[in-house]
Amino acid sequence: MKRIYKSIYSTMLMGVGLCGFVSFNACTNLDEEVFSEVLEKDFAPTERDLPFIVAPVYASFRNLMFGWQGYFDLQEESADHIITPVRPNGWDDAGTYRRMHQHTWNTIQWQPYNTWQQAYSSITKANMIIMQIEEGTLPLPEDIAASAIAELRAARALAYYLLLDNHGNVPIVTDYRDVDLPDQKTRQEVYDFVVDELKEVIPLLSEDVSAMYGRMNVWAAKALLAKIYLNADVYIGQQRWGEVITETNDIIQSGAFRLDPEYKNIFSHTNDESPEIIFAVPYDEVYGHGNQLHMKTLSPLSRLVYNMAAGPWGGNCAVPQFIDTYDEDDQRLYDSWLQGPQYHAVTGELVITYGKEVPGIGGDGTIAADNAGYRLGKYAIKNGATNNLDNDYPMFRYADILMMKAEALLRTGRSNEAALLVSEVRERAFKLTPEKATVTGADLEKGSTYNYGWQDKDGTVAGQNGGADIEFGRFLDELGWEFAGEARRRQDIIRFGVFQTKSWFNHRPHARAQSRTLFPIPNDERNKNPKLDQNPGYDD
Amino acid sequence: MKRIMILFLLLWNVSFSTHAQQKLSLRGKVIDSTGDPITGATLSVEGQDGQTSSRADGTFSLEYQKGDVLLVSSIGYLPFRVVLAGQTTLDVQLQSSSEALDEVVVVGYGTQRRGEVTSSIASVKSEDFTKGAVKDAGQLVQGKVAGLRISTPSGDPGESSQINLRGLNSINGSQNPLVIVDGVPGDLNTVAPEDIESIDVLKDGSAAAIYGTRATAGVILVTTRRNTATENRTTIEYNGYASLQTLFRKPEMMDASDYRRLIAEGVPYDDLGGETNWIDEVTRNPSSHNHNLTLFGGNSRTNFTGSINYRDWQGVLLKSGQERLNIRTNLNHDMFDGKLKTNVQLISRSAKSNNGGSTPYMWRQAIIRNPTDRIYNDEGKWQERDAYFYDNPLGMIHESINDSQFRETRLNGSVDYRPLEGLSLKMLLSRVQNNNLFGGATTFDHVNTTKNNLNGTASRDTRSAVENLMELTANYTKTFEGHKIDVLGGYSWQDDTYEQFYAYNFDFPTDNYTYNKLEAGMALQRGLAEMTSYKENRKLAGFFARVAYNYQEKYMVMASIRREGSSTFGENNKWGSFPAISVGWDIAKEDFMANVTPINQLKLRAGFGVTGTIVSAAYMSQTSYNFDRGQGGYVNGRWVPGFVPTRNFNPDLRWERKHEYNVGLDFSILDNRVYGSLDYYTRRVKDLLYQFNVPSPPYLYPSMMLNSGEMSNSGFEALINVDAFRQGEFKWKTGLTVSTNKNKLINLSNDQFNVTVPFFEAGYTGEPIQIATHRVELGRAVGDFFVLKTVGVDENGKWLVENKEGETIPISESSPDDRQYYGNGIPDVNLGWNNSFSYKNVDFSFNLRGSFGHQILNMTRLYYENPINKAYNVLKTAYDPVYGQTLTNDLVYVSHYIEDADFLKLDNVTLGYTFKPNAIKGIQNLRVYASGFNLMTITGYKGLDPEAASYEGDFTFAPGIEHRDRYPTTRTFTVGLNVTF
Repeated sequence: MKRIYKSIYSTMLMGVGLCGFVSFNACTNLDEEVFSEVLEKDFAPTERDLPFIVAPVYASFRNLMFGWQGYFDLQEESADHIITPVRPNGWDDAGTYRRMHQHTWNTIQWQPYNTWQQAYSSITKANMIIMQIEEGTLPLPEDIAASAIAELRAARALAYYLLLDNHGNVPIVTDYRDVDLPDQKTRQEVYDFVVDELKEVIPLLSEDVSAMYGRMNVWAAKALLAKIYLNADVYIGQQRWGEVITETNDIIQSGAFRLDPEYKNIFSHTNDESPEIIFAVPYDEVYGHGNQLHMKTLSPLSRLVYNMAAGPWGGNCAVPQFIDTYDEDDQRLYDSWLQGPQYHAVTGELVITYGKEVPGIGGDGTIAADNAGYRLGKYAIKNGATNNLDNDYPMFRYADILMMKAEALLRTGRSNEAALLVSEVRERAFKLTPEKATVTGADLEKGSTYNYGWQDKDGTVAGQNGGADIEFGRFLDELGWEFAGEARRRQDIIRFGVFQTKSWFNHRPHARAQSRTLFPIPNDERNKNPKLDQNPGYDD
Repeated sequence: MKRIMILFLLLWNVSFSTHAQQKLSLRGKVIDSTGDPITGATLSVEGQDGQTSSRADGTFSLEYQKGDVLLVSSIGYLPFRVVLAGQTTLDVQLQSSSEALDEVVVVGYGTQRRGEVTSSIASVKSEDFTKGAVKDAGQLVQGKVAGLRISTPSGDPGESSQINLRGLNSINGSQNPLVIVDGVPGDLNTVAPEDIESIDVLKDGSAAAIYGTRATAGVILVTTRRNTATENRTTIEYNGYASLQTLFRKPEMMDASDYRRLIAEGVPYDDLGGETNWIDEVTRNPSSHNHNLTLFGGNSRTNFTGSINYRDWQGVLLKSGQERLNIRTNLNHDMFDGKLKTNVQLISRSAKSNNGGSTPYMWRQAIIRNPTDRIYNDEGKWQERDAYFYDNPLGMIHESINDSQFRETRLNGSVDYRPLEGLSLKMLLSRVQNNNLFGGATTFDHVNTTKNNLNGTASRDTRSAVENLMELTANYTKTFEGHKIDVLGGYSWQDDTYEQFYAYNFDFPTDNYTYNKLEAGMALQRGLAEMTSYKENRKLAGFFARVAYNYQEKYMVMASIRREGSSTFGENNKWGSFPAISVGWDIAKEDFMANVTPINQLKLRAGFGVTGTIVSAAYMSQTSYNFDRGQGGYVNGRWVPGFVPTRNFNPDLRWERKHEYNVGLDFSILDNRVYGSLDYYTRRVKDLLYQFNVPSPPYLYPSMMLNSGEMSNSGFEALINVDAFRQGEFKWKTGLTVSTNKNKLINLSNDQFNVTVPFFEAGYTGEPIQIATHRVELGRAVGDFFVLKTVGVDENGKWLVENKEGETIPISESSPDDRQYYGNGIPDVNLGWNNSFSYKNVDFSFNLRGSFGHQILNMTRLYYENPINKAYNVLKTAYDPVYGQTLTNDLVYVSHYIEDADFLKLDNVTLGYTFKPNAIKGIQNLRVYASGFNLMTITGYKGLDPEAASYEGDFTFAPGIEHRDRYPTTRTFTVGLNVTF
């Protein structure tokens, strides 16, 4: 037996030697060699790395706003401006667009969950960086640390605002290290948190406009605060009109922004140069992908019109009833919506003619033709566009500041002051017919001209309930004309009570209409965190 | 037995008549029971070194001293032992043993006699392989191993068959069995089918556990053909065949006359004035050929095997195909009187294809294209139209370039040192290097340019892998007084590196470069080109040991353990232990059974084993970050990439563990005429690696890789072989395999999160339906369809469905909550029936295969058996009434398109004729044959081929979908020739 042992031993010894030869390592060393990732222990960040670290907090907004089934769809398809009807090439997609339109979404609907995910992604990244700065793993000079934390808290507040507006009763997490299941907070608590955070950080935020483009500076924070106060009645049942006026006045008086003389410029592919933009989500054809609004709205044929390097998908379009509300001299009708004949970029031949009428949302066998409905043209599509546009999303702009102030004035009985602001905004839309630009306080107190009611296949509107009974409906119309396609209509019509009470196109008020003003807590998140209760009105 | 007794008595008498102590010479012949000579039988004299073999005519000669014991053995025969008493001639008649009992079975790191095996192992030898134009090693044993489901869902010559053993056993890990080719990990294509001697499948945990962490999906051991002759031999074999393929079935789309008839009836189709049968235009009946040359040579100490396999297979879709060259050399050398055996093997393979644009998506375009349209427009260019996802399929084929090359070199060598009888110390070293190189481009006449203005696109993609393996094993076997003990110990080290590079550019000044001058594209300067690179390394180390003991092949026990570690797991969980034990009892060998002569073997087996599954990707347990453009932003006036955590960190990641119990019975009755195995298994996988949904907040990403689930599989397997006629001129051998499988997802939960995931959805219909097809729910089986159940169609042509309360409602009032379970895509029972006949020089075989108890979602009908959309062509049946109505419903995913898919397939029929030896001078053996594949299917399924459902990749958890975009399956006819010189 000794011979056996000896032989085994020598062979093993030889093997161990070879083992080292093959791997340059001991036989049992299983440390993973990492080539295509940066290990935490290998990265010692400094102030120089701050841009890379902060960028992801904002990237979530880019992925969300104009991305696939993103925030734009959430705010517009649930409202009375935009629909995605079934087309010859598809767009049934298991009824998801129909559910958005008819408010029949359930707790697994993706669009609201998408907003939830991206908002919390931004929040968690902000929490992580705040922790890194506070713990010193991201060492920064004191002043830079203070302003970085202030900015991150403001960006985080922006993400919480999206949740406050859409989901209401959500958990608040501020500590990255705490991975216990978070408690659900009431909408009031979320409101208080966001308002307090913003108030706390505003004195620490930068006032710089150009260097902070696309990031939270003091003006962006104030605009956000004004926006929250504007909707305070919806969020917490208390009016904050005075606060709206205070915050908007601060921005107006700063002189940092002004109305862009050209409405189109606010949305062009060089709109980062517009003096009107207070806070934008920047997009770029090369670096900052995500603006694919044109892909969803344009017919495949429209590629010829813009000499595009991509084939659009041909989906959403304007609700005909909304188009009918425009004054035909309102330049915004043409700057916001692609309509009528479209011509070949090179040959000038007629390619397609977009008609206003749309037979129905579909689901009953109705198919909207490829050219049915006006298309979103507000974010001008440049010649040779790819599937990603350069146009930034102006989330807060100066006209909105004026209109927020105007609404607060209007609602506090100062309609003539409000009318001056509204007229100021309207001016550039009626350059050829300036007399139409002016509105009076009495005008703004009128109802809406929107012909609310169910639209039959032949385009007639049945079961009309119109818009005359909407308080300050005319002002709501003004918001519609000025801000169409800016991913905000849902919020506005909730505030004016239209969302809950009116029919439009193939939408009727939901049986539990009031409950639809909040989206459900995503079912998947409730499965993962049993501490989360469903919002009222959603079964289960 | 009688004959042996007579022989023995004869020899015994002789031994008393001679009394000499000098060396005597003995001449004789080894023959079988029919008197035919046995070639290559091993003859040795006990106590003497060296051995000899019987010659081609069975004769032998050797020297001995009186009283020596002569041992004669040959595979397939019972060993023969005789005391030599001085005789000079001896004819040894060997009794054939049952093949089932005596054949050698390849087990992990060694071999066993079939009679000794205690676990569930299936072994298929080359003579039982499927004949004809066989794609890969999988097809060789299709339907021949109970429990191994092998399917060929694609007619693409470059696609392998799909293989699954005993159900789905992992969610994120590999579902594919570990394939070991001559001791080194490989795949079903590593060697040409013609080059394979045997395929052994380690089915249960107790057999596979010696391979530890890679063995949960089973282990397939491929043994290549080797020169096993122990004396001078030079043989050359040539196998060649040519084959012709046709589409298995064509979808019956509407043709131009159907369009015109419907237009006349007022249906708003466009008559574009032409007449084109698009499916005919994009397909062909391709011919293929295959040549294989094998050489055996050498002497008793040094011998070699060499083979060259060349094949050029064309695909049924235009331009598709694959050209392949495999070369293998194997060299054996013995030194120091057989104490040192060395082996060197080199396998080189290369495969090339130039597929153009024959993609599954092209197939969709051929189906949906307007049959009144033309191929070319007036300028002679491709006639394109401006609908969404609607391109001229011929333009796609001819204006796309998709070239791929695969090259692999496998070099392995072993040294086997046998210092003592029964002791073997072996070292195996292996290096496998391979690389894939792809080149893709589209010309200026491709829609990328004619529609999307990209001005030509081009890309290159290259991947390279190096796998190093070292294994040290020590094996000691001792037989004494009926006891046999076999001890194995070993160590294994595997080190794999994978690298990848990809670049894409467009906007070229010319399309002449195709992919050969990427820098000429202007998109690079515009920032729109793409580039990626990646590298990873994985290490796997294992220590293993096994003890096998048996007493007279009556009582058997085997125990093994493997301790294995992988670099892909977290610091504290790198190592796992995988034990196994199995026992066997051959009742037929008991004394009380001695009189029950019809029973030759009745072996009860029971085994338990633990195997593991490794995490499917590298780096999953790392705490790491990446710079990511998608997470970048516009900061301080410039765009920067974002620096983000790559994942929710989980440094506690550990092995998936499968526990399996297997009980079985090996039997052989009626003079070994009927034999086979029965097995029942139950296996449970714990700590399933799953991309678990975690709450977000507080986690950054909504899911993370966690050990968080449990799944079980159980089933019954039977293999029954009958040598119905085994003597005489007419022989018939028939074999039946039956297997069942029952799968259940038991749990998806994690202690850390204290929540249970009730289900996950899988499968995807695609545009414009966009909904999951399957749901995998706790307590249910993988493969359940989850769908709105149709019960009728209303007078307006809209679906009526059942809501969750069981009431009938219009589909427009239904919600996703009304979906219900409806059928399952994984067969309950799989059946294989193999038959081979021979009469004189004619051989004939046929195989039937069937799968039962499953459903298939017929996507061709789902998308094309609905007349609603006039922009795309549909099946002729689209206008047929459904529940008495013509459909006017939008395309929806409903149960109407899920069909029972039971089928029985006549899979392979071969007729061969073997000429008499040396019928042509110098040719020892000559056989010609004709064979057909996938000939006929008996099924109620209305789709193209019930076997065309993929069970891999995206379909792992959405099995049973005959996808609309796919490479269609084919029928193959082959004529071939086998020649031995």
